[in-house]
Parts: sequence; structure tokens; C-alpha cells
Amino acid sequence: MIMIIKDNDGIVLAIPKGRILKELIPVLNSVGISIEPSFSDKDARQLQFSTNIQGLSVIRVRSFDVATFVAFGAAHLGVAGADVLMEFNYNELYEPLDLGIARCRLIVAEPKVYSDDDPAHWSHVRVATKYPRLTKRHFEARGVQAECIKLNGAMELAPKLGLCRRIVDLTHTGETLKANGLAEIEHIADVTSRLVVNRAALKTRANEINSWIQKFREVVNG
Amino acid sequence: MSFISNMNESNKIALLPAGLKDLLPSDSAHEAAISETLLKHISCHGYERVKPPFVEFEEGLLSGVGAGLEGQTFRLMDPVSDRMIAIRSDVTPQVARIALTRLSKSPRPLRLSYSADIMRVRGNELRPERQFCQVGYELISPSSILGDAEVILLAADCLKSVGVNDLSIDLNTPKLITTILDELPFGDSERLSLHNMLDRKDESGVRKLAGNYAEPLLSLLRSIGSAAPALEQLSKINLPSAALEHIKNLEQIASLLISGDPTLSITVDPVERKSFEYHTGISFTLFAKGVRGEIGRGGRYNIQLKNLKESAIGCTLYLDTLMRAVPSKTGKNRLFIPADISREISAKHREEGWITIQGLDSIDDIKSEAQRLACSHFLINSKIHTV
Repeated sequence: MIMIIKDNDGIVLAIPKGRILKELIPVLNSVGISIEPSFSDKDARQLQFSTNIQGLSVIRVRSFDVATFVAFGAAHLGVAGADVLMEFNYNELYEPLDLGIARCRLIVAEPKVYSDDDPAHWSHVRVATKYPRLTKRHFEARGVQAECIKLNGAMELAPKLGLCRRIVDLTHTGETLKANGLAEIEHIADVTSRLVVNRAALKTRANEINSWIQKFREVVNG
Repeated sequence: MSFISNMNESNKIALLPAGLKDLLPSDSAHEAAISETLLKHISCHGYERVKPPFVEFEEGLLSGVGAGLEGQTFRLMDPVSDRMIAIRSDVTPQVARIALTRLSKSPRPLRLSYSADIMRVRGNELRPERQFCQVGYELISPSSILGDAEVILLAADCLKSVGVNDLSIDLNTPKLITTILDELPFGDSERLSLHNMLDRKDESGVRKLAGNYAEPLLSLLRSIGSAAPALEQLSKINLPSAALEHIKNLEQIASLLISGDPTLSITVDPVERKSFEYHTGISFTLFAKGVRGEIGRGGRYNIQLKNLKESAIGCTLYLDTLMRAVPSKTGKNRLFIPADISREISAKHREEGWITIQGLDSIDDIKSEAQRLACSHFLINSKIHTV
């Protein structure tokens, strides 16, 4: 079927639920964006919200979906963790600004009992992770074949219950790892949240998009 | 797996491999109409059609401008020649081959065009299609930058003629970043990382990795956008002289385009480099506001065979994206002709521009028969009635 994509001229900003959102709200406020009150109403079923700025609306989606909405042009701007961006590696996304929020690390961990395990000896690993593509690429780059088991949460349980020995996951303080008897054995990347922009939107609405990037940049650089 | 084993016989036949599809009558007509209008415009500017084969020996497709397409190209063994043949994943290498061999003696500049389906091993996120149609044209051995302007302005004309609104032309110079990085003391892996970061326009990554050398790169990242302010910004950046040549080209082409068609919306992105693997000079990407992905791209590149080396500029338009960008003109002129009407009369109506649907059986209720066959009009007693 042929579909004409409607351009209703508004800019859509995609923001993630959960962990990042708490740190993002003050940034949005400093940029001068305040979202309509129903946004903070936990019982509301609304998914798209208006803001104090004419022509700017906000959608709240899962952090993985922010990248997808923006890559496909359903949203023009978004805020996504570097972990999600590395996982999808979308060509249609630009990440012009590091917002420096929701700082954490992407790591490989395994149970402490394997403390004599030498990563240099690996040729094949089985890994439980939310990030199968990123994990595969990371291990491939060091000559190791990774067989990934995709989980959507509670990664720390996988080694404990014998699903597989290793996990690739985000860690902030390392507390959850420690509580589950896991130790970090490899650091993959430092992760912060980025302002992301759809490629076609930057090219077809350059002035509007650039002015938003600039507003965020001024806030981030203080 | 159980879905497959339970599949009934007719669904088994209906299922096509990933990325392939049937275009049914209305879509197929839509594609054909767009393609015809584009080709008419292109040929009016003196670009002559060529039609290379769908498959050929892999050397022809995967060398020269085709180098780098290996991963995207289906290959198979030709039992007749015992050589590997490949299905084209891009038409430009074929046109280049024609220009350098059979048409090497034809006067330059040579203007060639094509409309062709191509086949790719994998689709990507925005274009899952593995087979799609490209309409394109190549200007071979243009002497000056006026050639670049001709190719880009023709693309704009073509797209306007099929009804693309809010066209936006992004001007790029894919060799600029490489030229700048050549002057900086980075090793291979740092260079690769910098390229990746610049492709993503990741300012903070570039600042961290390039350290003291970051400044010009960061300035380039901030010179992306509408042509006038972006070029103004670019002119202030302190760059090596080889790089300045690229910037000068950008300025020249932008001013030629603006004077050629002041209504054009032009942006500049000096950092864009992806998918311009074989391009050497000014390149461009075509977008339309509200349309997902690119509708076309092109630029300047070199073609070479032994001692014969030429410069060329090409443009490719993607029909699958254009079909989404342009409204379909559905048939409002289908005329049902009852079986007893003479051939002369129906021919007369076709001459007037009707599409005639000839009835083959004698029918009492002509109107409902016309309706059943999706006709907009029908003929009774030499009079045309609306359904």
C-alpha cells in the first residue's frame, strides 16, 4: 500500500521512561521545555504530550525504542543512552550532544568463583545480555565468538541459576553485581545519555533542529 | 518453525523471500508513471538511455566504482562460461563500463541514463527491500563545475515534475574529512574511530579523542545546516590548503544552484561521508520534508580503464522512496465498453484519453458490470455515464 507520510509540521521529542528520565527533566526545564501535567500522572494512558512550546510535543517510550522512533523519523529528536545507540548502530541517527546524564558503565561480569578465568584464553563465550549485537561486535573485535542469549532484565540471575556464565550489562555502582556474587571482568564502554537527531529531519528542517541542538548545548556546557 | 510446516499449499507459494515483493496493479502503475515522467525529463536534457544486462561477469561489476560492493552483491557460477557472474547491486559501474569501452570514442561530455532494477544481498533499516528500481543518469567527462550544477539542477527538476514537494538538497564533500585527517598525526585505529564519530556527529567523542587537534573538526560539525549560514561558518575555519579547495567547491556549487533555481532549499554538510565510497568531489543527497530516508543521491567520481581515466557525475533516484513521497494518481478514466460496441468507437475513446475496458459477454446491467470491473464510467447509446 502506498502511504503518504503526513507532515504535521510539529517537532516530536522522544524521551525514555525510567532511569534516564529523572535526570533528564531538570535538563529539559533548563532548556525551557515543560511538559503538560498529565506527563507525571502514573495512571494516565496518554503517550504523547504537549509542551509549553508551540509545535513541540514529547513522546515517552522505552529507552530502546527512542533510538528506533528517531531512526525511522517518527520522532525528530530524542534522548537515548549510548548503550542503546551502540546496540542498534542506526545509520539514520546523529548524536550531536552528550548530555552527561545517567552516567554508568557497560561491562562484562561473571561469578567471583571463576576468579582464575583468563579472558585471553577465550575462543567462544556464551553471554546473557540485553545487547546481543553490541556484545557480538565487542567480542568479535578481540577475536572471540560470542553466543548471546537475549534477556530483557534481571541479567544477574543468569549466571547464578546456570543459564550461562557471563553477562554484559550496565552497572552504575556495582552493588547489584556484588549482591549477586558477580565480579566485573571487562569494561566495554562508559555510558551517558545523548541528544539524538533524525538524519532527514536535520537536512529538511535544518534551522529548527539546529536551534534545538544549540539550546541543549548551552545548557550542557553551562 | 511450526508455522511453516502447517502452512497450506497456496500460502507456501504466496510467501516471497525477505525483501522481495509483488507490485500489484495500482502500485505498479504508480511506479511506472513516476519512472516515465522522470525519464522523459532526463531524456529532454540529452541523456540517452542505455540498458545493461541484469547480470554480468563479476569483474565488471565489482571493480572500479563497483569496488566495495562485494558484500552487497549476489554472485553465482555461470555453467556456460565457468566464470563467476554477479547480479548488479548498482547500475553506475555498468554505465561506467559502457562509457569506457563501447562508447569510449563517443564525443564527450557523454550523457547516459537508465531505469533499472537492482538486487542487494541485504536491505537496511529504512529500506528492507532487496530489489528495487533506480532511475539515474551520468554525465561523463564534464569539463567544469557547470556539469555538477547541471546534474543537481536536473535532479531537482525531475523531482518537481513528479510532484515532490519540499525538496531539500544536501551538499557534501566526502573527501574533505580524509584530507584533513591526512594532515593530523593519528594512527589507523584512531583515524577509524574519528571517522565513525564524525559519521555520527558525536562532538564529545571527537573532542576527547582528537584533543588538541579537535578544533577544526568541531567547527566542521557546527557548520551543518542551511547553505548560507553553514558556508559562512565554514569560511572562518582554519584548514589546510588542500581542504580549502573542497570548501571552495562547495561555495561555488551552492551559488550556482541558488542562481539556477532560487526556490531550492539547500543545506550543507561537510562531514557527511557514508555511502560516498567512490565519490571524489561534490556529492549530494536528496531529501523531502516528511519523507522517511533519502529519495536519491549522487556526485562526482572517477572512472578508469587502463590508461583511459575520466571524471563523471551521476545521480540515482530511488523509486521505492519516491512512491511513498508522491501521491498516486488512481485511474479515474476507466471506461466500460459493452460487448456490442464496434472497435472503431472504442478506439476513438482511447484516442480521447480513456482507458477502455471491453466487455466480452452481452450484459443487461451495464452499470453494475462497470462497477464490478472498477470502471469510473460506462458507455450506453454512445453516451458516457458516470458509475
